[in-house]
Amino acid sequence: MTKIGDIVWRCVGGFYVVFLLLPLFLVVLFSFTNRGIAAFPIEHLSLHWWRAMLEHPQFLPALKNSLTIGSTVGVISAIVGTMAAMGLSRIEPRRAQTLTAILCLPLMLPPLLLAVSLRTFYTQSAGIPLTLGTVILSHLLFTLPFVVLVVYARMRNFDYRVVESARDLGASPLHAFFTVTLPIIRPTVVGAALIAVSLSIDDFIITNFTIGGGVTLPTFVFGMIRTSLTPAANAVGTLILIMTVGTTLIALRLTRYRG
Amino acid sequence: MREGRGTAIQLAPAAVIFFGLFVASSVFYFIVSFWSVKLYKLRPDFTFANYAKAFEQQWSVLLFTLELALAVGAITTVLGFVFAYIVRFKAGRYGPTLLFVAIITLFGGYLMKIYAWKTILGNEGVLNTALESLRLIDAPLTFLFYNPGSVIVTLIHFLLPLAVLPIYSSMRGITDIEMESARDLGASAWRTLSDIVIPRCHTGLIAAFALCFLVSVGDYVTPAFVGGTISMIGSNIQDMFGRALNPPLGAATSFIMLFASFLIVLAVSALIKSWRPR
Repeated sequence: MTKIGDIVWRCVGGFYVVFLLLPLFLVVLFSFTNRGIAAFPIEHLSLHWWRAMLEHPQFLPALKNSLTIGSTVGVISAIVGTMAAMGLSRIEPRRAQTLTAILCLPLMLPPLLLAVSLRTFYTQSAGIPLTLGTVILSHLLFTLPFVVLVVYARMRNFDYRVVESARDLGASPLHAFFTVTLPIIRPTVVGAALIAVSLSIDDFIITNFTIGGGVTLPTFVFGMIRTSLTPAANAVGTLILIMTVGTTLIALRLTRYRG
Repeated sequence: MREGRGTAIQLAPAAVIFFGLFVASSVFYFIVSFWSVKLYKLRPDFTFANYAKAFEQQWSVLLFTLELALAVGAITTVLGFVFAYIVRFKAGRYGPTLLFVAIITLFGGYLMKIYAWKTILGNEGVLNTALESLRLIDAPLTFLFYNPGSVIVTLIHFLLPLAVLPIYSSMRGITDIEMESARDLGASAWRTLSDIVIPRCHTGLIAAFALCFLVSVGDYVTPAFVGGTISMIGSNIQDMFGRALNPPLGAATSFIMLFASFLIVLAVSALIKSWRPR
């Protein structure tokens, strides 16, 4: 490998990083502008638009709804997903992989189709009113596959002998799970749950069609940016980014998941 | 196996959610595509009128959407491949950092990424104001914005991390020993790429293309923000559930779209698989 070749590859890599991060950086930067529009030049940095966001009557309900939905989705998908992953780890790998692939089908559909078909299902067939509950149920469809994939990967190299010793010493299956298995896999489970939280908080399309009346942070910010380039939208967007990237970062540390 | 009943119980909640929600709603959605609408109310029916109407009204939009999504899918897959290749083989100790950037941009900021491009490309956006303040242009370049190009760039930006990960996980299976033996036996860099790396990435490439293509086909938020008057099939479907209030027509349109997309994904997978070592 020549020196010049190395430099070229590094530049290409750097270009990718700029392409991925610069647009997001601009959104964050413009939330601190003192002008009425999200554009250069920024005369001086100001918290004006963050205050505008906090004072907006819809902000608190949106934040509360996002946190409620995100945490509930995180907890439910962690429990259901961990159970499924443990079940899968006990069956033959080829069959387990087929089942996992089937579970991932909702991810292969365009989100819009998932959204409208769930909406039609709730309102026309079951007569379920659209609430936060329907949003939570719907989110499970795309968060569960991630939890199952991550926890299953961990369970595949899990040393079952420790559980078997606990069982031989007289622990019930549940007791063995809570005192032996769970403490060992806890970082992975928590990390997987946080990925579910971050996917849930970030979701706009499915939430928009299954929420009925209320707002979440993404549907709130969607209403703002449809009309103009108000920097208050940048503040809300930055908040969503902090919440999702933050949870993802913690999740990555915990799971050591790399692709 | 070891604990048959226990395993079944562990899988049950996930199965209930999958069948009770995903399968049931998809089947119901398919049934609704044969229903009719009377006075804004759905009526159980068995008619192909929705399909005929959807086909007649939407085929040109569908064709345009498929072309655009094909372009996005192809470009994103190639870019994702190059990125994964750099991470795996070229970046050395910077590899993990590059991958890290792809992963943290994967899970968050869907709306923000689209909004960011509106901020960059718009008439009062970053690019235009920068060019104006440098006195390179007098009036905003309106062609930057509200066209298929801006939609394509925006989609590529938010889909790229999604394309990188499956391709990278395919590449992880290629050992350094294989690469070195190829080189020692006199293969050029291109030959190694074409005969070893690409054939080993079939699964990753197909997964990357399918994901990017399918998400682009159904997207309606991107055209709404940066597409201006451009109509994509997703925008029209969304409209049938909103203003137009005709879910059966929307369902029929969805299934036509899904069927067409499925054919394209199959064709592209076959094309990718046909890339074999000489």
